[in-house]
Amino acid sequence: MSLAARNALIALAVTVVVVGTVIYAVNYLDQRRVVELSSIQDQLATDTLSVETQFALLEAAPCEYITESNTLSATLADLGARLVFAEERLGATDPQVLQLKKQYTLLQIRDYLLMKRLARVCEAQSPVALYFYSNVPGDCADCNRASYALSYLHETYPNLRVYSFDYNLDLGALKTLIAVEKIRPDFPAFVVEGKRSYGFSSLDALEKEFPKGALVASTTASTTQKSR
Amino acid sequence: MQIEYIAYPFLFIAIYFEVFLLLTFLGSHGRTSRARALAKHTPKVAIIVPCWNEETTVAGTVHSLLALDYPTDRLQIILVDDGSTDGTPAAMAQFDTEPRVLVLRKENGGKHTAINAGIELANDADIIGCLDADSFVDKTALREMIAYFDDPKVAAVTPAMSVNNPRTALERMQNAEYIFGIGWRHALALVNGIFVTPGPFSMYRRSVVDELGGFRYAHQAEDMEMALRMQRHGWHIENAPRARVYTKVPRNVFRLIKQRTRWTTGFLRNVLLDYRDLVGNPKHKVLGLMVLPFGFLAVSGGIILFCVAMFMSAKQLVNTIATVSGVPLSYILTPHFSFGWFYVPITFLILLGLVASAISITFMVLGKRISGTPGNLWLDMLAYCLLYGFVAPWWLLRAVMDVAFGTRRSWR
Repeated sequence: MSLAARNALIALAVTVVVVGTVIYAVNYLDQRRVVELSSIQDQLATDTLSVETQFALLEAAPCEYITESNTLSATLADLGARLVFAEERLGATDPQVLQLKKQYTLLQIRDYLLMKRLARVCEAQSPVALYFYSNVPGDCADCNRASYALSYLHETYPNLRVYSFDYNLDLGALKTLIAVEKIRPDFPAFVVEGKRSYGFSSLDALEKEFPKGALVASTTASTTQKSR
Repeated sequence: MQIEYIAYPFLFIAIYFEVFLLLTFLGSHGRTSRARALAKHTPKVAIIVPCWNEETTVAGTVHSLLALDYPTDRLQIILVDDGSTDGTPAAMAQFDTEPRVLVLRKENGGKHTAINAGIELANDADIIGCLDADSFVDKTALREMIAYFDDPKVAAVTPAMSVNNPRTALERMQNAEYIFGIGWRHALALVNGIFVTPGPFSMYRRSVVDELGGFRYAHQAEDMEMALRMQRHGWHIENAPRARVYTKVPRNVFRLIKQRTRWTTGFLRNVLLDYRDLVGNPKHKVLGLMVLPFGFLAVSGGIILFCVAMFMSAKQLVNTIATVSGVPLSYILTPHFSFGWFYVPITFLILLGLVASAISITFMVLGKRISGTPGNLWLDMLAYCLLYGFVAPWWLLRAVMDVAFGTRRSWR
């Protein structure tokens, strides 16, 4: 075998190994991301349970004892951001992403309900927006705009809590929430302070959905998770 | 299917070919070739300098030739003024009294006619050299190259080219490319895959030139055509990686695109029209089975990758504009980065691109090391990384369009 032929074969083998290593490395990294997401979710589940337990224990106690809710919401926001990234990397139909998204959605719903109870008992009213989107191609032309506008509102008004939900996610709790809130499949859909609205025209219009004075530009109130 | 999938086959082939050449470079044959000593014998050499409007550089070119480490009675320098309309004749006249320099003036007929006229004058030369009038040779370059003619199968020898005193970012970018070419060309020579004997200081065995005939117009790429003709007739083309030659390069991007368009159309037209029989021909081994087919892939791949990148960028830009519309500019312009390994955008495309780039950088480092080319390679590489991907696709695109539509352009 000539030198060139030998080198050509070795080069082919090396290239296949290099490409194989690249494929392995990318998949490995994606799997590590999923593991990290799962670990954050486990921690969140524990934290949520802890807050709920605190709440139950201190039903009649001063609200300042319930200390973990702020941290919980911040972690939920971080998880949301990571989930969005993982969804972009692995695809919206990836089974692991879907599973994590369901858990995340459950956590959001529990946080939402918890905040509602806290608000009622502790009279610490924070404006809340539920945001429903669809990942089905062609379903929602304005969802990206709506998500970005909500991110802006959340950053500008830190007391605003935004909970975003994939309308088509096959999850019983979410379907119940959709039924309770009477959300029809018309995207993007919002529930702002209990009032439903559909479609996104502009940031100003969305801002006007909130009661006057509800959005506070500078506050030390808790944060919430990122929109889609 | 995602559009980025189109890039994968090109990247696979690029990495494969780079690995192949790297193995060839690092192999024992490569080490033996690089260990070759300077020539002790001194065949008679005639170096032809074709000039057309080179008043500012020709004197420096000739001075560098006169300084060559070679017996004075064995070296002849033939300056051919191809009908210059500037001060080139006057610049040449200062060498009228130099016994080693012969000056010939003729009507403008193109570079190939100037070289052929010079060859006719070099009656008794064993080796014919060509040097563009904007290039300068290192003192030992000729002896380095002559040593390769010991092998009777060798018809031509190419040097190690780099940019003369690169200063601007564009010159530095080109210098990195030239230095990459030193390692690349050396590896190609080891498997007789060279398909161009560049204007700056290539050497030819006189008997082979006589046998094959002189230089031709060859779609403005006479140096490529001569190399392909030699390859077709079974001759070998060598490379002397320590034979340093410094050349001037275009200083603005428009001239650069014009020059490279000429080179690329020269490649496409010569290979497609006149030397198609070499492509895919097992008789021509690496040249026929890899170098020429991959050359076409490089041209088409460069254009396709650029178009894919442009399409993806444009799509992203349109989406971004649509998404952020209506939100205050102060928020849009504030960076919203997420830090941590989780968010590192490592994708298959990016990693493959990094592998290909790493091998290219390796070739640059090797090219600089084996040639001993002076200068700061890291700055050159930086300019290369920042600029090349944005500039090169334009000449590839223009060249393909010119070939497709039969457009012919002037030399300069």
